[in-house]
Amino acid sequence: MTNINGKAYAMTAITPMKAWKSPILRLFFFILGHVKPLQADLVNLSFIHFARWVLIGRSKFPRLSESQPQEQLRYDYLLFFSNFNGTWNQYIDAFSDVLERGLNLVWRWSEKYPGARPVTPFKRYIAMVQFDTDYYYTAYPRATTNDVKAAHRVNAALEDLARQSASMSAEQFGAAYTRFLVAVQGDLGATGVGPVGT
Amino acid sequence: MANQSGNVYGLTILSPIIDDPRAEVSHDCAIRDYLASLPRDHRSPFAKLGSTHLARMVVMDDVIFVGAPAREEHLQSKYLVFESNFDGDLDTYLRRMAEDIPTEVDAVWRHCIGYPGVRDAAAFAAYMKKCQLETTFYFADVNDKTVGQTLHALRVQAGVAEFIAAQQGKPAAEIQAAFQQLMEKVRREGKG
Repeated sequence: MTNINGKAYAMTAITPMKAWKSPILRLFFFILGHVKPLQADLVNLSFIHFARWVLIGRSKFPRLSESQPQEQLRYDYLLFFSNFNGTWNQYIDAFSDVLERGLNLVWRWSEKYPGARPVTPFKRYIAMVQFDTDYYYTAYPRATTNDVKAAHRVNAALEDLARQSASMSAEQFGAAYTRFLVAVQGDLGATGVGPVGT
Repeated sequence: MANQSGNVYGLTILSPIIDDPRAEVSHDCAIRDYLASLPRDHRSPFAKLGSTHLARMVVMDDVIFVGAPAREEHLQSKYLVFESNFDGDLDTYLRRMAEDIPTEVDAVWRHCIGYPGVRDAAAFAAYMKKCQLETTFYFADVNDKTVGQTLHALRVQAGVAEFIAAQQGKPAAEIQAAFQQLMEKVRREGKG
């Protein structure tokens, strides 16, 4: 499936919104963007590489020539792009469990949004408004976002050890090396193949 | 700016696709056919750009009717959606698309309205900016590392795990000597 490349899944969803609701959602995103603690749940989930919401006004679809017919839409549209690790079901389940309030604040302005809980109608809604991906590329298909963060921690610890141990005796190095092992032991899991399932 | 998180730029492009009833293969199908044949691994054109973390292309045929009492409505054009997460600034990225992967860019965007080609990189960048949508909210979990730094860190991580396994139970002096060799290798690969 093109939505999946290695351990990354590309979700693309579009939902209609009554135009008068757009400023409210923009205000919510503005607050979310400027008050970092509000992003804590999103950060703590730690399986999303990158995600974005894009609000398109009903008259803001790009028009590149006079011959291109003008869009005649009544709704504004909310586009959602996510690059996450795991399967679609795991993602929606986790979203529903952990981010219910946040999701509802984002999508409650979209038409027919059923709420993030219970999860069955929520999944049905997401499946309905989702587009399949025609092409998906990732520079590190075997690495989850946790793998990426772990690799950077190992790299930093290794550089620290190299700096500190330049003038150490063998005995001092042995002790520093043990401390290094203790520090990185949780970050050494090998990256393997992607998940199987839906 | 909402398009940026730390060092990472989130580009969203919506390019209207040519609607030509006389075309033997419709332009949206032609894009899909081409994208289906494009490598998605290290041979991908985005791997050549080097600064792309993740990118996708989606042909959006229409907006979605979510059911009554919402109103049903339809787009007048189909759109190619291009979403990319990359290091650095937009102008450099668009110039590199035009200069480093012109064949692939041309094969996709020649099916889109108003596409000027890639010979004139400035004209291509101006076209892409006309199709760009401003991100309303952008989240990047790791936004202070480049693609190159991340790939290097992942290689180092694997190398360290192997090193630790190989050095188990050896005297400290022997591990220290091996560690120096490991670091020389890490530095060499980091420059490469």
